[in-house]
Amino acid sequence: MSALVPAISFQDPIALLGLALIPMILLVQQAFRRRAQRYAVRFTAVSTLRAVVGTAPAWRRHVPAALALAALATLVLALARPHRTVAVPAEQASVVLVTDHSRSMMATDVSPTRLEAARDAARRFLDKVPSAVRVGAVAYSDAPDAVQAPTTRRDDVRRIIDGLVADGSTATGDALAAALEGISRDRKNGHRPPAAIVLLSDGKTTTGRDPVQVARRAGRARVPIYTVALGTPGATIPNPYPYASPLPVPPDPATLRQIAEESRGRAYTVEDSGELSGIYQRLGSSIGTRNRQQEITAAFAIGGLLLLVGAAAGSLRWSGRLP
Amino acid sequence: MTQGGALRVPDGRQGPGPMPPAIVEALDLVVARRAAGLLPGDRRSAGIGSGTELAQLRAYQIGDDVRQIDAAATARTGAPQVRVHVPERTLTTWMVIDVSPSMAFGTAQRLKSDIAEGVALVIGRLAIRRAGRVALVTFGSGHSRLLPPRGSRPGLIALRRTLAEGVGVDGASEPDALAAALGRVGRVAGQPGFVVVVSDFRGDASWVNAMGALRMRHSVLAVEVRDPREGTLPAVGRLALIDPETGERIEVDSNRRALRERFAAAERRDREHVASELRRLRVEHVVLSTDGDWLLELGRKLR
Repeated sequence: MSALVPAISFQDPIALLGLALIPMILLVQQAFRRRAQRYAVRFTAVSTLRAVVGTAPAWRRHVPAALALAALATLVLALARPHRTVAVPAEQASVVLVTDHSRSMMATDVSPTRLEAARDAARRFLDKVPSAVRVGAVAYSDAPDAVQAPTTRRDDVRRIIDGLVADGSTATGDALAAALEGISRDRKNGHRPPAAIVLLSDGKTTTGRDPVQVARRAGRARVPIYTVALGTPGATIPNPYPYASPLPVPPDPATLRQIAEESRGRAYTVEDSGELSGIYQRLGSSIGTRNRQQEITAAFAIGGLLLLVGAAAGSLRWSGRLP
Repeated sequence: MTQGGALRVPDGRQGPGPMPPAIVEALDLVVARRAAGLLPGDRRSAGIGSGTELAQLRAYQIGDDVRQIDAAATARTGAPQVRVHVPERTLTTWMVIDVSPSMAFGTAQRLKSDIAEGVALVIGRLAIRRAGRVALVTFGSGHSRLLPPRGSRPGLIALRRTLAEGVGVDGASEPDALAAALGRVGRVAGQPGFVVVVSDFRGDASWVNAMGALRMRHSVLAVEVRDPREGTLPAVGRLALIDPETGERIEVDSNRRALRERFAAAERRDREHVASELRRLRVEHVVLSTDGDWLLELGRKLR
């Protein structure tokens, strides 16, 4: 996710050619140093003087020059007008949390249970998401049974999340369709705000329509679906029929990845609750934001000036002259 | 290190300056007395040989010169006796001269090498009197040279020619050159003589043992040549300095009073160390500076 790494771009990259000055300056300085060597005064008591002066660490001699060069580099970068990509809260954005509460969510491979972990992560998500972002929720098992259209009232969403009970089968496709429906109905001045769906599921779709088809529709409508596959492959739940062997409930990351790809979202696979919370937090802080270019020339200029002042101070202190 | 033994007449060479005959004559007496006073007897050497002073009478042995038979002693004892004399030899003066690159330095009237040259010439001129011989050992240029003892004019001419070649080129560094040169004199000089060491005695004091060994047989005079700048650093701002021998470079800010004082103290300590070592070895120590009349100073110190 590009918003997670603040990238720096330049408006006038041609100015970066000025960085070639630095090796040139180094060469010129070497030449001057060699010339200064020729003009050194012969003095027979140098060894005494060396003992008296004491041994300054060798690196200290180069510090002012290095600082001055760094200042030059920074000022050249400032000349290229650097821009930083910053995440700003997107107004009117909406997110729908689609949460699976089928029977397989009873499995305890994720502590304490998958459902409890999902509920926890969803609460964190709600805490993290900017308040301007509207959040909706769809809970589903056999069919989408609780649908909350995107709203700024977090309590409505919290109520749905708190009321989840693990039972029934998995109708991912129907749930996604319901979420998409809610989003597309949510229009302001005839134009739909940016939206995203966060799908948490732990198993294969067992009933309803094909979720990949719905994902393709979401992709066309520019609604990315971020999918989270929860659970470990070897997990089981008790069989409802007595004396039958426990039912295996492995997650289905392949389908979820396909859903994410079709809708240009991202797929995550998690096997423990801490990881799940981490992903929900990240989604919460990134979905509700939009990237914007911000000029940071001033910061570079100030940094260059500070480096320059540091170079001058170090040079005056250690060698009694400006570099 | 450059080619060993390469010599060069230093820039700014002034020559030793005028040497008034009157002062040289006065110095003659002084030097003669010094050399004599430190050796056993006037021009007397260890061992036996031909001379005028009786060492002992002993029984004649085959091979003795019959002209040495003492008639009176033979008559008294009834057996032939011969007279054995204390030998009287000419005095050999060994000049041990520093020609290291650091001698090509002087900020007052002349270079240190000029003074070393003057001292060598004056003492050489005095040394060839009374059939004396003069030998020269140079050291510090990467290749030590030795001119064997020669008497009269040829000795003086060889001395003058060798000194005129100058001093070692910059970069010739030999930390233990003085010790090696003194050891060489100790090995080569068979007869006790007069050793004059002219150097700036800078660097480590590895020469002390060799000087002590030399002192056991010879009469030694140490002439230390200094420059006033070596003892004090002037306040002239930032200086880039290079050591002529090691090529070591240093940049210092001579405006810092603490640095100048520390430098002066360290130099004073070094010079005092040299003086105390020479005093401990009971070696005659003369300090000459490049900013004064070295000949007068030499005579005054030796008096």
